[in-house]
Amino acid sequence: MSLDELETRLRPAFLAALEGDAAAYRFFLDEISVRLRGYLRQMLARAGRTEPSEAEDVLQETLLALHLSRHTYDQSSPVTAWSHAIARYKLVDHLRRSGRHAGSLPLDDEAFQLAAAPEDAAFEARLDLERALEALPARTRGLIDRVKLQGTSVAEAASAAGMTETAAKVAIHRGLQAMAKFLTRRAARPP
Amino acid sequence: MQTDDLISMMTAEHRKVDTGWLRRATWLAALAALGLTITLILGTLGARADFAVAWMTLPVIAKALLGASLALVALAVFQRSLRPGLKPGRWLWLALAPPALAALWALATLAQAPTESWSALIFGRNWRACLIAVPLYAIVPFVILILLARRGAPVDGRLTGTAAGIASAGLAIVGYSLHCPDDTTPFLATWYPIAVATVTALATMVAPRLLRW
Repeated sequence: MSLDELETRLRPAFLAALEGDAAAYRFFLDEISVRLRGYLRQMLARAGRTEPSEAEDVLQETLLALHLSRHTYDQSSPVTAWSHAIARYKLVDHLRRSGRHAGSLPLDDEAFQLAAAPEDAAFEARLDLERALEALPARTRGLIDRVKLQGTSVAEAASAAGMTETAAKVAIHRGLQAMAKFLTRRAARPP
Repeated sequence: MQTDDLISMMTAEHRKVDTGWLRRATWLAALAALGLTITLILGTLGARADFAVAWMTLPVIAKALLGASLALVALAVFQRSLRPGLKPGRWLWLALAPPALAALWALATLAQAPTESWSALIFGRNWRACLIAVPLYAIVPFVILILLARRGAPVDGRLTGTAAGIASAGLAIVGYSLHCPDDTTPFLATWYPIAVATVTALATMVAPRLLRW
């Protein structure tokens, strides 16, 4: 698939997602994560890192960044370029943080690499984002656990937790923010 | 956590997204920063003594226009630098146009003036004050813009810093034009651009540290 084809496939879905269409958003995230996984594994391999769990870490960090930065998308620009720029930023940050000087890397890549090697076999991440949720109230964690189990809608999970749907969405949003913060904090203290 | 579970969480809390917020917030923040800077300058330095008669004159307007045009160009780039994938850096070269115009005008002024008066035309009375005040008051808009930038997704911290620096210096110049008593074009074309360059260099160095996300 060429980059143009990928863009044609993803852009309508993402634009619909911005209007609030959750199914379109799910489609976009599923598609882009497969592309990003392929891209990240390829780039990490070039840096001499072939551990797939490491790529999964950066993928999760990138997906969180995409999600929390949806409002930064410029509707007149390609959504593949937007996604690629965020993935690249998180990749360079990851490499710098884990001891390799990013400047010495062949990172002169462009968005077309997103279209090159899709990779849909997920791998276990090394960093467990679950740990980021430990500080959250038990009710919120219970809600997140229910939502993660396939098939439970937010509405169902919310009523099971005794919350309104809006409150449930706010709680999940906090959970995602906590995970993103957990990853940024890790940046301050290299492992 | 599995990547698929993460995607489920994201889909579950997804709502309609407002992609225009960043643009509106940038212009509102700039207006607020300008208001605050002007208030601070008037409160600490005060308006120039002859402000009532001078504010409509060409030199004062030229100073304010120089600052405003720099800020407009830089703010547009700043806002776009918070959106990944756009690469708006080349538009920043437009910010060279206002100082270049001022320089041409200054050269024309000097060409018509006797050589003995050049020094007075360039240095005026308060060139040191200008060099200190503009960078100092630019801190106010710079802090506001950096706080806003943290709500965006700056993938090139240096570019965001450069744009924020030019914009902050531009806004500070608009405010300082109410105080600055030196009205010659050579003064304007020399010290204001040096002040802008100073602020921009500092901002470019500092911003990447403040903008990690």
